[in-house]
Amino acid sequence: MSQIPDVEITPPRPSFWRNLSPVWLVPVLAVVVSLGIAWRSLADRGVLVEIIFQNAAGVTPGETSIRLRDVPIGLVERVSFSADLSQVVVAARIDRNVAEAVPPNAEFWVVRPEVSARGITGLATVLSGVYIETAFLPTTTAPGRSFTGLESAPLVTPGRQGTRITLRAPDGNRLTPGAPVLYRGIQVGHIESPRLLDGADGIVIDAFIEAPHDQRLTSAARFWDTSGFSVSLGPGGVRLGVGNLASLLTGGITFDTLALGGGAITAETTFDLYADEAAARQGASIGMASNALRLAVEFEGSVQGLNPGAEVRYRGIQIGEVTAIGARLVPGDGAPRLHMQASLALDPPSMGLPANAGPIELDILISALVKGGLRAQLAPARFFGTGLLVELVERPDAPPAELLRPADGVPVLPAIASTIPDLTATAQGMLGRIDALPIEELLAQAISLMAAAEQLVGSEDTRAVPGAVTGLLTEARNLIGSEDTQALPGDLRGSIAGLRGIFDALEQQKAVEQLVTALTSADAAANRVYAAADEFTPLAEGLSGLVAKASALKVEELVAAATAVLASAETLIGAEGTQGLPPALTGALRQVEGALAELRAGGVVPNLNSTLASASSAAEAIALAARDLPQLSRRLDGLVAQAEALVGAYGARSPVNEEMLNTLREARAMARNFSQLARTLERNPNSLLFGR
Amino acid sequence: MADPGTAQPALSAHAAGLCGCRVCGRVNPAEAVHCQRCGSRLDPEPGLQVVWAWMIAGMIAYVPANLYPMLRTSTMGRTSDSTIVGGAVELAQMGSWGVALIVLVASVAIPLAKFAAIGYLALAVHRRWPMRGHMRHRLHAVVEFIGRWSMIDVFVVAILAALVRFNLAASIAPGIAAVSFALSVAFTMLAAQSFDPRLIWRATEPETR
Repeated sequence: MSQIPDVEITPPRPSFWRNLSPVWLVPVLAVVVSLGIAWRSLADRGVLVEIIFQNAAGVTPGETSIRLRDVPIGLVERVSFSADLSQVVVAARIDRNVAEAVPPNAEFWVVRPEVSARGITGLATVLSGVYIETAFLPTTTAPGRSFTGLESAPLVTPGRQGTRITLRAPDGNRLTPGAPVLYRGIQVGHIESPRLLDGADGIVIDAFIEAPHDQRLTSAARFWDTSGFSVSLGPGGVRLGVGNLASLLTGGITFDTLALGGGAITAETTFDLYADEAAARQGASIGMASNALRLAVEFEGSVQGLNPGAEVRYRGIQIGEVTAIGARLVPGDGAPRLHMQASLALDPPSMGLPANAGPIELDILISALVKGGLRAQLAPARFFGTGLLVELVERPDAPPAELLRPADGVPVLPAIASTIPDLTATAQGMLGRIDALPIEELLAQAISLMAAAEQLVGSEDTRAVPGAVTGLLTEARNLIGSEDTQALPGDLRGSIAGLRGIFDALEQQKAVEQLVTALTSADAAANRVYAAADEFTPLAEGLSGLVAKASALKVEELVAAATAVLASAETLIGAEGTQGLPPALTGALRQVEGALAELRAGGVVPNLNSTLASASSAAEAIALAARDLPQLSRRLDGLVAQAEALVGAYGARSPVNEEMLNTLREARAMARNFSQLARTLERNPNSLLFGR
Repeated sequence: MADPGTAQPALSAHAAGLCGCRVCGRVNPAEAVHCQRCGSRLDPEPGLQVVWAWMIAGMIAYVPANLYPMLRTSTMGRTSDSTIVGGAVELAQMGSWGVALIVLVASVAIPLAKFAAIGYLALAVHRRWPMRGHMRHRLHAVVEFIGRWSMIDVFVVAILAALVRFNLAASIAPGIAAVSFALSVAFTMLAAQSFDPRLIWRATEPETR
């Protein structure tokens, strides 16, 4: 180019710039652009940092990106080992402007595809390969250049607003890291890995409650485990409680503010984790409350079935719980005695005291009630089962006692013997009676009876009975249908006509008047009979003997006799002679008719009149003899009274009657008992379940 | 090329004080600025500085074309950059020797040969190195002809980038080297074009005037 101002050019073209081609701008521009690109790429190269991992599975130099909130901010350049080969050193370039804000405590972790109960995470990395995620609180001072990577994603990334708390639990076998923390069913946080507590029972779980929700946390909050599902059987039926699916799989923790009050929490506050909501509520209301009144109760008998946590009830509502059970040596003369001692915690508000009332107020109340007869006793917690609870009952008639205040302990509430054994005995007796019922024998008898009945029905004789009956009926029909029998009514009519004629004649002869006089004299005779009836008492005795005989008469024989009569009647009806009875009867009636006619013709009526007249005289005599009849009647009354007394005595003395009465009385008592039981159940059906 | 005969010296238009129009072929007087027939601009004294300028620009552009990635291939989320030579080496490693050779020849050998050829021609003309004009003329013709084929690499990249767009599965994006390479080829072509073959013959002329 130094040749450009050539000799040849000088004459025609004067200017150098005129000769300089504008094309020269192109290489200049190209140089500038290239340099610019080079400078930029050098300037944007980022800062080399080192991250130390225990293992770097899937991290590929040149491919694996470093991301902050899922935005790539760098690229892994090199993967090498530390000097002692124990760790992997990942060298990465991070964007310069980001690198300046990365503090030395920034967290780096490798995001890998992960399938867990909480869901599938890092799915994108299946195809794209892993990447390294980072999280930190931006710093303005000394940025870090060497970091230590985490093995897994932190559950709480730095910079997240919220509150970190610690939960204390007996075990963590239902909780997995990352399980949700729910507040009224909404996830407000999650837990980290449960870890064992050094030098103490139980575990601690770190939990993180996210920012807007951590305002719900107060010192009165209660946490409980909602892992899995719960089945409870109560008076309302079976209740199945299932949390959300995630907590079903990974376990979950719910918290709520169950108690009143509660102040703001400080960082790293420790809460107790309850097994379930009921326990949390109970704990929240009584056991753990600082204002609970601590009492002790001493029982002389066994407290088997009473466990810590058992309810303390007063008139059916829970007012506290049993916190501990122990034994106490009672000093006394003679052999040492042990009293089983149950420690109680009573909740002041449950006894009607104001919410801010403390143990002192409740103490005053309880001691007043004890003076009025408040006692503690053991009661079954359930109708079936051996669980016990402590019940505070009011026994105004109990021997007076006071709230004992030993010098070295909590006040002791006086106790009375429980009624549990009686109940058990009753139940056992009832069961024993049911057991003793001779059901087998009854069944055997029933079976034999049925067998006999079957045999009877199946016998040839029994089968022949209908045939015999039919024959009997046929014969009877034949008898009734015979012409002679048909003729009977006509003959009867003739006889009646004859009788009517006799009576007409009698009427004409004034027989009635005679009859009246005869009756009058009969009356007099009867009066006289009264007089003669002094010896009626032996008659009455004879009568009672007759009655005794009658009662002694064997019914079986009577029945047998009756049967025999019937049999003979059957034989009679079946006999051929009976067939001929109607003609004979007809003949007899005709003879009667003839006799009547003769009577009418032969002046019987006047004879009758004279007969009646003599009868009248006889009656007069009788009336004379029956003057003492009122006395007889009186005696008869006495007889009847005696007979009644006899019958009454007879009835009272009869063992059958007695048995029957007894039976009835028992049945009545039984019925009353049943109705009482039914009424009780009707009034309080729950008692069947709760045994109260 | 009209007279492929011997290197027998002949009177050229330049020597005769004339200037041929490169568009319509009319012979104009050397003093004329515009062609008397077609009116196009005459260049009686063709210079080499334009050739140099284009060539240098092409060479400058060629540097990033080889340093920066030509292709950015994303397959299943994995992104890989490949430069021209790196891509050829990769192809060779995969066993595609033929394709690797084509890439290498088309993208490396030919551009470099072009730079060499144009530089040689320009220098030879400038320094009036003794050489047979026919050889030089043929070289220039070859360079001009072959120049456009260097664009094959750029075409491949453009077509791939346009066709392979399967989002996550696979996608190809042109790198910064593709632009550089295209510019380099374009500049080289312009350099070859701006080289006036008449200079070849003029250089062979004896320095009479």
